Amino acid sequence: MTVDAVRTHGLAKRFGRQVAVAGVDLTVPAGSFAGLVGPNGAGKTTTLSMITGLLRPDGGGAEVAGFNVWRDPVEVKARIGVLPEGLRLFERLSGRELLIYNGRLRGLPRAEVAGRAEELLRVMDLTEAADKLVVDYSTGMRKKIGLAAALLHNPSVLFLDEPFEGVDPVSANTLTEVLRRFTASGSTVIFSSHVMDLVERLCDWVSVMAGGHIVAQGPLDEVRAGRSLNQAFLDLVGGGSRDSGDEGLSWLGAQR
Amino acid sequence: MNTFRLFAGLKLRLIAGNLRGAVERKVGFVFTLIAAAFVAGIGFLSMSAIRFAEPDLAADLGVVVFSALVVGWAVIPLLSFGVDDTLDPSRLSLFPLRTREMAIGLFAASATGAWPLATLIALLGGVVGLSRGLAGALVGIAAVLLVFALCLVVSRLITTALSSALRSRRGRDALAVAAIGIVLLFQLPNVIVNRGVGDPTALLHGAAGVLRWTPPGLAATSISTGNPLWLVPVAAAIVLIGWLWIKALARALVTPDSSSQAASVRGSTGLLDRLMPDGPLSAVVYKELRYIRRDPRFRVGWLVSLVVVGVLAFSQSGGDSTAGPGLVIWLTCLGAVMIGAQQQFGNMFGADGRALWMNAVVYATDRDLRTDLRGRHLAATTIAVPLIAVLAVAAGMFTGATSGILPAMLLGWGLLGVAFGSGALTSVLVPYTIPDRLNAFTGAAPGQGGQAFLGSMGAMMATGVVGLPIIVPVVLGIGWMGVVALPYGVAIALLGEHLAAKIARMRMPEILDAVTKAA
Repeated sequence: MTVDAVRTHGLAKRFGRQVAVAGVDLTVPAGSFAGLVGPNGAGKTTTLSMITGLLRPDGGGAEVAGFNVWRDPVEVKARIGVLPEGLRLFERLSGRELLIYNGRLRGLPRAEVAGRAEELLRVMDLTEAADKLVVDYSTGMRKKIGLAAALLHNPSVLFLDEPFEGVDPVSANTLTEVLRRFTASGSTVIFSSHVMDLVERLCDWVSVMAGGHIVAQGPLDEVRAGRSLNQAFLDLVGGGSRDSGDEGLSWLGAQR
Repeated sequence: MNTFRLFAGLKLRLIAGNLRGAVERKVGFVFTLIAAAFVAGIGFLSMSAIRFAEPDLAADLGVVVFSALVVGWAVIPLLSFGVDDTLDPSRLSLFPLRTREMAIGLFAASATGAWPLATLIALLGGVVGLSRGLAGALVGIAAVLLVFALCLVVSRLITTALSSALRSRRGRDALAVAAIGIVLLFQLPNVIVNRGVGDPTALLHGAAGVLRWTPPGLAATSISTGNPLWLVPVAAAIVLIGWLWIKALARALVTPDSSSQAASVRGSTGLLDRLMPDGPLSAVVYKELRYIRRDPRFRVGWLVSLVVVGVLAFSQSGGDSTAGPGLVIWLTCLGAVMIGAQQQFGNMFGADGRALWMNAVVYATDRDLRTDLRGRHLAATTIAVPLIAVLAVAAGMFTGATSGILPAMLLGWGLLGVAFGSGALTSVLVPYTIPDRLNAFTGAAPGQGGQAFLGSMGAMMATGVVGLPIIVPVVLGIGWMGVVALPYGVAIALLGEHLAAKIARMRMPEILDAVTKAA
């Protein structure tokens, strides 16, 4: 039996009185293209931050490729690539400088890094903007350069928080192509999203979060069980039966 | 009139909104109110007190103070652009308002608030201080209202005309650095008086002679002479500036935001990077040097420390022929401490801010973090070491006490090392968020002023105490002890890096949280 790419048990975090993550047991088999879906505030970002070692959990533990995130940081950090949501990059470096900085920080030789950076910039269609400062990049360009930086050291597990938010269709297509190729080689991608169509199209493994818990998890077909993923999701998180606003908002769309 | 009331109400509601926020915002709001009340009170009283001066002097003072108020209104809103939403016309461009309504509305919003009220009250003090008789007082009130209106339209014209530049990244960067110039400008009278350049009364008279013919000067003159005719050009100026403002506003509302157009930067590798062995250390140095050149916060930090040393040197070395090597040593050490006390060294991870995660997902061992801290120190050293040398030589040549140059230089370098070592520790013990948007009023995110204060005070105190063993002998005249200062400083810096790296590895999630607070 192969080791799971990610496995957490009872992972928990509270901010003050508010419980953000209430005991998450997330499992992602190695080599899968996994989607972590859930409504806003379900605890997706908090969970990913704890697994990548950026946030200290209040309880429970997390393993990446069999190594404990908090006890074996050397092994874990060498294996993961991360693209958090909304967090900044080193804004005053150019796109190329950012990639080279990242690679060299991880101890890759300069010439090797320069070569990889050049290739990544080309694939991401950023060659023209390579010498502009990241602070001047658009949202889509940021996501692409962030992904390039996360891929540069050839990680075996890639964590992406809302990688497609604010990205135009062309760039999104580029991103998915790169990610598909990445998982085809046996590496693992875990990304959070609330765009069900996208998850349905890309993923072979789905974990559904709601209210700080995992409410369903498994291969895509098993989770959706004949329904569309969107319907399955609404059924799971309990949003399907809610009235669609027939009683309120009567003025909306009325004759002006 | 409706528009006027609507916008004034909107501004009041924005101000009142501060009371519903977090405790820090409430405290900030109350502090602003107290400060405004203080300025209003002091302004009114001191303007009234002009009455007790000789009539000529009083008239001159009135002219200068009125002009200064208008200049203040022109400049200060620039510094808080982006903090006060009512200053940016683009926020309102989607509302169905005609330019005229918009102009009235923005004018109303400008006139509402604690600071406009404080200005008005201070100006009214001028009526008490300058006017003669009842007719004079009536003229005075008219003049004060005109000057108040002038303040508002001038500030509106400037922020509107520059709004598209201020929204762009380059514009903000440039402004951040220019802000130092503005702060310095306010220090100018101080320096002049300290240096005893000429007779203050004569200077005042000279300045008033020129400023008398500007609109605020004319208004002040009309109060002191009781002649309402002087107000005609003032009113004309308001109409003209107001007209220009409305034109600028109409243009600003339909001009697209050009802030996303950007130029390329040069991709040179840098001499130092080529000389150093390949690896994480040189990567950090490379990044750090680029940041010093490109990030306005870094540029401002370096510039401020240079300017402070320059001003002190200028005001302390004047005309004192007895100054010996002691002064050279004092100035050089001061320079070294000022450089080492910059925010970027006492809060090293705060300087990365929201980008720190990029390092945090890489660094797994003490050694990684030590490399990071050392890289930052090395990059700063390549600038600071020559700078301190130049400072020591310049101070030595200037005072003629050349024997002080070498001990001063060595001690300065040593103290820099001590400052780096202490700063590394405060960086990991009391990290705090440095706001992305630099503004001239605060160096920390809301609610973290305490940490910022603790951090910088801690670093300064530690530098002073740990630096004593090298400062005392050199100050006592045992110049050769300077030789010990340099290795001592290097040792302290290395020790600081070592301990800070250990702490940082254990506390990284907490540090990350502390430096990414919403600003």
